[in-house]
Amino acid sequence: MAAPGAVLRQCPLLLPQNREGTVYEGFLTAQGRDFHIRILLPTDFQLKNARIECSWHLKKILHGYQHILKQRLHSCPDLVSFLVELKTIMEIALKNTPELHIPRPPEYYSCLVRDIEILGWNNFLFSSRVAYVDTGLSTVKLKAEDSCGRQHLITLKLNAKYPTEPPDCLVDFPVQFAVSWMPQNSLVDIHNQFLAALESLKEFWDAMDEIDGNTWVLEPENPTRSATTRRIAIGNNVSVNIEVDPRHPNMLPECYFLGADHVVNPLRIKLNNNMHLWDPEISLLQNLKDILEIDFPSRAVLEKSDFTKDCGICYAYRLDGTIPDQVCDDPRCGQPFHQACLYEWLQGLPSSRQSFNVIFGECPYCNKPLTLKTSMKKL
Amino acid sequence: MQRASRLKRELALLSTEPPPGITCWQNENQLDDLRAQILGSADTPYEKGIFNLEIVVPERYPFEPPKIRFLTPIYHPNIDSAGRICLDVLKLPPKGAWRPSLNISTLLTSVQLLMAEPNPDDPLMADISSEYKYNKQLFLINAKEWTKKYASQQKRASEEERNQSETSTKESIPQKRKGSNINKKEKKSRLDS
Repeated sequence: MAAPGAVLRQCPLLLPQNREGTVYEGFLTAQGRDFHIRILLPTDFQLKNARIECSWHLKKILHGYQHILKQRLHSCPDLVSFLVELKTIMEIALKNTPELHIPRPPEYYSCLVRDIEILGWNNFLFSSRVAYVDTGLSTVKLKAEDSCGRQHLITLKLNAKYPTEPPDCLVDFPVQFAVSWMPQNSLVDIHNQFLAALESLKEFWDAMDEIDGNTWVLEPENPTRSATTRRIAIGNNVSVNIEVDPRHPNMLPECYFLGADHVVNPLRIKLNNNMHLWDPEISLLQNLKDILEIDFPSRAVLEKSDFTKDCGICYAYRLDGTIPDQVCDDPRCGQPFHQACLYEWLQGLPSSRQSFNVIFGECPYCNKPLTLKTSMKKL
Repeated sequence: MQRASRLKRELALLSTEPPPGITCWQNENQLDDLRAQILGSADTPYEKGIFNLEIVVPERYPFEPPKIRFLTPIYHPNIDSAGRICLDVLKLPPKGAWRPSLNISTLLTSVQLLMAEPNPDDPLMADISSEYKYNKQLFLINAKEWTKKYASQQKRASEEERNQSETSTKESIPQKRKGSNINKKEKKSRLDS
């Protein structure tokens, strides 16, 4: 048992509550704040059986650090060294939860609630311009619709100094979005600036939507509003990769062609020769069609014959009149194979073992052990 | 006989759902001779490069792996000057990790990944590998230079332009255009090509 003096020196606000020194109650100081705590030690002073009670505040801060605390309780020889550890953990935890570290002033909340009320009531276009507010009132998502009916979201992360400092704005834009901010501004101003920015990007999104809707876009699979590149299929395994300038969507984009030279070269030459015909007054897609003198094919859907029934080796269902009759035993895999395909693969592997007419090997898909009877047919 | 049915399905898949940044096609309708292109991934020294590859499909495919080789020179620890690639999935067991559950699409994706993440502990080009390990800065400069020199589309376009110069009659007077940027852009593209 450590001398009470040592505990007092380490934590002057933590006092023994009984003569035996098994109960301590008081305050621990971290980052200039005091937290109420009560420590109950068993009669043998074994720290690992100690009980710690604390205020909900401290409990919330230490949430996620319980396993470290438990480990420290087991490893510390006495109460003093544990208290040193506990204080270190509290300091770290407080640094990692900044919103608890500085309580926000009441003006913050009154200002924010006023802003949200304005955005929430005053509308006749859609139900509300506020899409989401987190429980801590520190993150707000606003929604807006541009003049083409596209829905957009802006996420605002407010710091404690709001409204003196602007919130951090997260948007799905292909360009930077910077708000101009004065302390007397409110979220309504941000919403207005957001709307203005949406309008300035309208042409870009119109151009991209036209491409996404009328061509076969190979990449990206589900383009975000910020994506400026598209890989468009031209056919014959040829595609063009375009990188559109969001500020000048109707200008000639950067183009890369992918595919066999004999198909790509004529396209590239057409692009070079017809470049002067590019007309910024007509849409990007129409320009590409005119310049390359092609029509972009629409999405082709590969007839999805049930892949799951086909042989995992030859990718076919029927092979010389046989169907896949071998199945991986593992229920999570269950991959079917033709007897002939599986035999040919396994017999070539040094890791396979044959005993009479049974081959022991591994499933080429899931690596689980697998057996194959070679049947009476001479293979 | 497995090869035919497999390639039929694989080629259909490659043309309708190609992996990101990858194109693959038959060379002159030959079943066993394919060509592929890999677009260098962003944040690698191969960015914006277009790398051509040759894929030879052996008779015993898919019981044997296809032979994949770079046609475009590339500065990489695991790819030699003949374009041969040191990658385990391209070799048969027990040395390699090829298995019929892989296919051309997954192999090309693996090659793309190898480009982004070289493996200097299993080098094919000893000097490039040690450069990658001990002087990454220099490696990046060299790899970028090679990409620019051998794999950029502009470069290739200019070669064709030279070949085609007699056929393509380039307009000499740039027309007056609407829009402020078009002339600049046009000039730039023409310089590039």
